[in-house]
Amino acid sequence: MRPFVLKYVLPAESPAVTLPYTYDSALQLNVLPDGRPAIVDRDLILVTGTTTSTAGSKTHFDD
Amino acid sequence: MTVLILTCRQDVTADMVIAKLHDRGVPLVRLDPADLPGEAALSAEYVRGDFYGHLSTGGRLLSMGALRSVWVRRPGDPAAHAEEPSQWLTAETEQALYGMLYSVTARWMNHPVVSAQARCKPWQLSLAHRSGFAVPPTVITTFPRVARQFAAQYRDIVVKSASGPPPGDPPVSLPTTRVPPGTDFSSVAAGPTLLQQYVPKRADIRLTAVGPRLFAARKRSVDGQVDGRYGDTGEPWRAADVPERVARSVREYMGLAGLAYAAFDFAEDAEGLWWFLEANQGGQFGFIELETGLPVAEAVAGWLAPPAGEQG
Repeated sequence: MRPFVLKYVLPAESPAVTLPYTYDSALQLNVLPDGRPAIVDRDLILVTGTTTSTAGSKTHFDD
Repeated sequence: MTVLILTCRQDVTADMVIAKLHDRGVPLVRLDPADLPGEAALSAEYVRGDFYGHLSTGGRLLSMGALRSVWVRRPGDPAAHAEEPSQWLTAETEQALYGMLYSVTARWMNHPVVSAQARCKPWQLSLAHRSGFAVPPTVITTFPRVARQFAAQYRDIVVKSASGPPPGDPPVSLPTTRVPPGTDFSSVAAGPTLLQQYVPKRADIRLTAVGPRLFAARKRSVDGQVDGRYGDTGEPWRAADVPERVARSVREYMGLAGLAYAAFDFAEDAEGLWWFLEANQGGQFGFIELETGLPVAEAVAGWLAPPAGEQG
């Protein structure tokens, strides 16, 4: 028998996205293709959803 | 003295704090435990009562004697990026890394032992009661009869997972969901089920606690929305004042739990009362800061490396 709560699962809303930044180990920050820290582009970071509550991450506990 | 930040590479929320620490000229090392062993390395000696430990990553060497504080942000599993990963290697690496870090008298945000307990939702509810929050009536049960009685007593209820959605491919989500009248509760016997009285809300509240500093944001709810984490309603997050009664309860909760950081979720009802839903010891704050301008990253940086003369 399937646990009760699993009646309410839905397909995840957010498929994997290609992140528009890469990690720079010298700066210890993620950077954009032009070398600027990714966090200077507020709108882009919000669009990628990587700073957003993830509602129950099984691996990182940071929703 | 150096700040150690345990997080994965893609974590731009950590970037927000690291940029603040850079501005302050604070030495820091960013490490993903997944890179150990391999791109990262460690050595710890326990000899005749003395302890020496070193950690290296990205060309940086951190002596445990120079460790000021540890921020556990979004670390990967130890050894996850190893050439031949295994559960055993993860367990061995976890022992080596965290055993070494636990041997140092640095301050933690948050200590993993504290975090493990703080993630337990039923315990959160108990602590929330003790801290003076308004908490919706809740049951977690494997008895279908108890679930039916709860539904009959409180009429409008929601079901939620205690631990998050199950793993799967394709991935699934498990939002808090209202349970319609006449629902068959027989499958409650197949797994612990968390039911809670539904709080009709006019707004979601996200309160981020960084040590003693509190940052609240409010997002107006739309009709029919139950779980504020799902669905883009177009409503923005805006900075909000924290009622004094809530502030006292948050500080009480943080003290009882031993937490230095937590993100609290509340439902604000029609009378303006904030109902406690959960407190996530590792909750995201990036979206809150980016949308509202609340200086959470600055507060985290200040906690990890207080200015000279400040206890923090």
